[in-house]
Amino acid sequence: MQISILIYLVRRVINAVVTLLLLIFLIFVLVHTIAPTPVALARIYCGSPHCPPAELQVIIQQYGLSLPLPVQFAHYVVNIFHGNFGTDTLYKVPELQVIGELLPITLELVITGLIFAVIIGLFTGSIAAANRNNPVDYTVKAVYLVTWSAPVFLVGFILQLFLAYELKLLPPSGLANPTLGNPSPVTGYPYLSVVPQPLQGWLSGLVRAITSPPLIAAAVDGDWRFFVSGLHHLVLPALAIAITSFGVVTRLTRASMIDALDRDYVKLSFMKGLSKNRVVYGTAFRNAVIPIITLIALLFGFSTAGAVVIEDIFQYHGMGYFTVQAIYNLDYIAILAITIVVGISVIAANLVADLLYGWADPRVRLE
Amino acid sequence: MGFKEIVKRFLGYRGTIATATVVKEGEEERRLSGYRFYLDYLIKDRVAAVALAIITLFTAWSIVEGILQYVGFATRHRALGWALLPSNPIALNFAESLKPPSLSHFPAYIFGTNFSGESILSRLLYAAPKDALAAYLVVFSGIIIGMLVGTFAGYFGGWADEVLMRVTDAFLALPGLVLAIALSVLLGAGYNSVLISLILIWWPTYARFFRAQALSLKSRGFVEASKLSGQNSLMIILRHIFPNSVDPVIAYAALDFGNVILTYSTLAFLGIGIQPPYPEWGSMSSNGLPYFPQNWWWAIIPGLVIMTVVVCFTLIGDRMQDLIGGRLTY
Repeated sequence: MQISILIYLVRRVINAVVTLLLLIFLIFVLVHTIAPTPVALARIYCGSPHCPPAELQVIIQQYGLSLPLPVQFAHYVVNIFHGNFGTDTLYKVPELQVIGELLPITLELVITGLIFAVIIGLFTGSIAAANRNNPVDYTVKAVYLVTWSAPVFLVGFILQLFLAYELKLLPPSGLANPTLGNPSPVTGYPYLSVVPQPLQGWLSGLVRAITSPPLIAAAVDGDWRFFVSGLHHLVLPALAIAITSFGVVTRLTRASMIDALDRDYVKLSFMKGLSKNRVVYGTAFRNAVIPIITLIALLFGFSTAGAVVIEDIFQYHGMGYFTVQAIYNLDYIAILAITIVVGISVIAANLVADLLYGWADPRVRLE
Repeated sequence: MGFKEIVKRFLGYRGTIATATVVKEGEEERRLSGYRFYLDYLIKDRVAAVALAIITLFTAWSIVEGILQYVGFATRHRALGWALLPSNPIALNFAESLKPPSLSHFPAYIFGTNFSGESILSRLLYAAPKDALAAYLVVFSGIIIGMLVGTFAGYFGGWADEVLMRVTDAFLALPGLVLAIALSVLLGAGYNSVLISLILIWWPTYARFFRAQALSLKSRGFVEASKLSGQNSLMIILRHIFPNSVDPVIAYAALDFGNVILTYSTLAFLGIGIQPPYPEWGSMSSNGLPYFPQNWWWAIIPGLVIMTVVVCFTLIGDRMQDLIGGRLTY
């Protein structure tokens, strides 16, 4: 039993690494197809279409753009695994530093949106399944067909218009109330001194990563005014992301609930005399939820893409907003770095989903 | 079998799946094939019929307007592009700046005007052919590339199959929008670069579909029989695998037209694609962002139009998937 879990885990991790390498290869091939010569490549790295030839030569030397392609690819992979995505052409700082600051903000938004989507989806999906083929079911279906066909910017605009500007329930834009200072980054970890010296660097890095999203940083810092304000500002964009993506969850929940309701153990629960609600939302629901785990990675990718637009509309200054700025400034290096970072995040989400699925459903491990 | 014959087989094929028998109450059992099968049931369903009507209207308008615009550009009479529109979509008229939707000057101001005083309705209608072309071109190229790559990989198996699966894995690891942003920014601004990048990212899904179809079809009796009768592999693929694997994909494709329009207009919203002054549904919406919420119509109405078209495609695709019983997996 233990060994099967281990084998499953190792296979999934290997799979994720291979996919990541292929993704990097794909991006490498695409960039080199679009810019086949060293000079054309140097223009991409330069960030301005009117780069003087002398500067181009310096860039070719610096990045080794005239080396044979396999060598260049090896350099590229090694650089990425060292977290070296190049220097931002606009801000003149390493790309990793910019993304390191902005990614936690976006992750906070995307994961909140994902949680909202799963909650709405499970709720509507199980209601639809319990009322199969009657008006409630059709209404749920009509609602999710419309919401997943809506462009994400329309959902953002409508939420902003009604909830923020008309009803004034929530703030329309921004990360938090601008009059409040940002929470100070968490420093000094008193409990870390307990662990052995070699582990401290890793652990403090881990702790810093976990506490970097602004809300968590504020909570750790005890800055509750910022926390409440940040939470207020988070709800609307997260809701916009959830509304465009919950339909997938609804459909799968409905299908797997209907499947579960036909099973023998559900019939047995009915025969035991349990109430319909108890059987549907207790017995059947618990088993129907498991396939939803497989949707996590899909939803994560979808929400990350949606976050680009949503952050632009809600002036939520995370990685999505940075992407839009990079598009306007034709900052190729930033866009390639963002693409790879999003790829890594989605592959990681896939891995997490696979592992969760293997944990929740032992049958999967044996495949 | 000549080329004509192949085409004929494609158009009038009798797929094994689409000829599924559907019996409705008070009706005799009927067998229909190919598109007739879908069309017959879509028209009888009231909601789907409305959706189909809207899509037909959208497509017909796009063809007419697209031809006018093309001829206008080719003969340097650009005004031909807005001959059918209520007003010139790219003429500045600041006296009529930011008029809310109203019935005056019917029908030009029915959706209001933007900051430059251009009628939003005219701009929406002018931009429609670009969206229609993107949707149809991207999905059909996706189907053709996916069919060629996927069917051969699935039928022959081996290392070609392995390579295909890994390549599509890499493509599907990223959200389509993010890859499309990277590609079209690298390719440079313009409509064509958006189309190319969308086509590049759209085929892997179809390759997976066709691969799965080929895998399941190649062990079916009629394929085995023609193998035993000495038919060569190419003929088997053309005669049996292609025609039988197209049907379930058609239903998915109907839904996918909407997905392309969503991705395309989101790219336009982010400023990638058609450049000003020419209108585009997504970029119209994003241009209205600084004037939101006082001038809400500028940002919201293009979004509503996109949603209407996409909902119609989704509805049709959804009904078609219900008809063939079950959804595609890959």
